Amino acid sequence: METGWYPVALAEGLERGTSTGTRLFGSELVVWRDSAGASHVWEDRCPHRGMRLSFGFVRDNHIACLYHGWQYDTSAQCRYIPAHPDLAVPSTIRASTYPSVERLGIVWAYSELDSDAPAEITFAERSPVTPVRSLYVDASAAKVFDALVLAECPPLNNAGGATQRSRTDMLVSLRSGDDEILVAVQPLSDVETALHIVIAGSPDVHRGDSQKRVSAWGEALRREIEGAARHVGELRYEVAP
Amino acid sequence: MQGATVIVFTGQFRVESFVEFVNHRARRLQLDAVVETATADRIEVAVSGQPALVDAFEMACSLGPFDCLVRDVRRINVSA
Repeated sequence: METGWYPVALAEGLERGTSTGTRLFGSELVVWRDSAGASHVWEDRCPHRGMRLSFGFVRDNHIACLYHGWQYDTSAQCRYIPAHPDLAVPSTIRASTYPSVERLGIVWAYSELDSDAPAEITFAERSPVTPVRSLYVDASAAKVFDALVLAECPPLNNAGGATQRSRTDMLVSLRSGDDEILVAVQPLSDVETALHIVIAGSPDVHRGDSQKRVSAWGEALRREIEGAARHVGELRYEVAP
Repeated sequence: MQGATVIVFTGQFRVESFVEFVNHRARRLQLDAVVETATADRIEVAVSGQPALVDAFEMACSLGPFDCLVRDVRRINVSA
């Protein structure tokens, strides 16, 4: 696994006060959002008995483990143990964390646990974006990239035209005229990949039909990658009548 | 060690492995721990700190590392 920034969730899909589990190269992660709106990406493991923190519950600015209720603040420090309410919890009792940032409507995590010096993320913020969806593909990230380098940008406001493709680390851009979609590729394991898809542009413009087009495009891409008979250069998109 | 609880583990030990395990768990729980006896069948540890964490330490060390077998755990004395 190459160290770097990887997408782990669509930001819009992670509501305040919720947590979810995901994987990166087989390692289990919890992604949660506190009541102040900040997202966090940690190892999905309570240091007490190993329960997945993604099964836990978020209250205000802490996440509590489902198993025994140990509470962790936003710095991953355990602050409260219900069975011992008067205990001064040692600073050594803390969850392991991944540096994380939100950019382009996506939550990104740096793949080195407890890193205090992550590399700078290599692409700039662009605002606004319109989130579309996350898709799960039974194929390796390499196969996904192989398909993306041949994929056509689905037409949004443009009449259609030549697609320009570019890749920066785990982010692929497909552009046709003023239309652009961004696909962030998350290697869940050696044989499974998540795609997080957004449209570059305002939801005021792209909410609705554009999202449906790109969603259908993504599903077609998945079928191609997972072994459909058609050549990947003949991707179809469908809009419901 | 004043104010310490002495915990006695009996069983079958790879001494170096169990002592390392004990010290790691003590650091993790921010306890002061001194291994006072360490033989292949008996390990005595004097430990001090918050009572709940001493209890947690005892529980954690009662499982021990994979190459040791803890058959019994007792507290033989508690210093004033």
